[in-house]
Amino acid sequence: MWLPVLGLIIGVILGLMTDIKVPDEYSNYLSIAVLAALDTLFGGIRAQLQNIYDEKVFVSGFFFNILLAASLAFLGVHLGVDLYLAAVFAFGVRLFQNIAVIRRIIIAKWSQNREKTEKNDI
Amino acid sequence: MDSKKKLSFTFITVVIGFMIAIQFQTVKEPSVRDTRDTWQLRADILKEKELQLKLLREISSNEEKIAQYETKRKQSKEQVLRETLEELKMEAGLSEVTGPGIIITIEPVNEELLLGKQADSVSPDLLKRLVNELNMYDAQHISIGGRRVINTTVIRDINRETMIDGYALNRLPIEVKVITENAQTAEKLFNRMQVSNSAEEFFIDNLRIKVEKPAEPITIPAYDEALRVRYMEPVKPEEGGKS
Repeated sequence: MWLPVLGLIIGVILGLMTDIKVPDEYSNYLSIAVLAALDTLFGGIRAQLQNIYDEKVFVSGFFFNILLAASLAFLGVHLGVDLYLAAVFAFGVRLFQNIAVIRRIIIAKWSQNREKTEKNDI
Repeated sequence: MDSKKKLSFTFITVVIGFMIAIQFQTVKEPSVRDTRDTWQLRADILKEKELQLKLLREISSNEEKIAQYETKRKQSKEQVLRETLEELKMEAGLSEVTGPGIIITIEPVNEELLLGKQADSVSPDLLKRLVNELNMYDAQHISIGGRRVINTTVIRDINRETMIDGYALNRLPIEVKVITENAQTAEKLFNRMQVSNSAEEFFIDNLRIKVEKPAEPITIPAYDEALRVRYMEPVKPEEGGKS
């Protein structure tokens, strides 16, 4: 359970230490890619909690979403339409939904646990 | 969650963390905000301009110094002496010279219609005549067969071989290179040589001269032996003034 969190921290430290900076014109792509990655991450967590987690779906979804989002942004830049907003919207909505589902599941589990302990106490 | 799944999940989270960190660094605002107001900005601009002015002044003073040194060097006696020496060397024929000029090729007449034996060398008299003629027409530097002709050069017959400063000129054709002061004089010399009598005189000796005028400057080698002055003495100043 803690390994992924550790990985996240390691990733952040690595990123801060390497001092890489993306040029301004590409920061759009990176931001949308980060959003897609976060969406996939929370989707993965939700699936894990619902016991429908599939590794292949998760890993492929991660890369595919990032690529799709970046190419959408690229297309938008070349068409003169802010298409990346579509990706932001889609990922944003899904992010919220996923987090909401995760929250409900955790609350449900927690309350179940409490009921159990109360029963045990009695 | 088995360990393989965990590993892939961890890998993805590492990537995500990396991306977030980079994004964070990219959009991070400058750490110190500029809070100066108009007057402070003006004062700062003034300060920078003063610095610029100072630097410019320094540059110009340094350049001035360089120019001063340059003129000092030029005006110094040593430099003048050096220049004079160079000039004299060039005049005496001790340095290689490049400039506009003409090339005269002396070759044997190959036609069989002529009687007598074929020419195999040039007589010194003819060569001397040619050199004199060239000098008459404002030639400045002359070389014959790659040997520089200077004031003390001797062209003479030794054992029936034409020698120039002790070097044999027995292989025809012989190239005579002539350098003049500028392109115009070269042109003039070229035209004069075209119509000069020496062509006929050479023809009597079964020789033919071909005059050509190359577009690019020609090079004449330096006189490569020591100059021995035996019968010359410097003119004494008082005597020189009287004459």
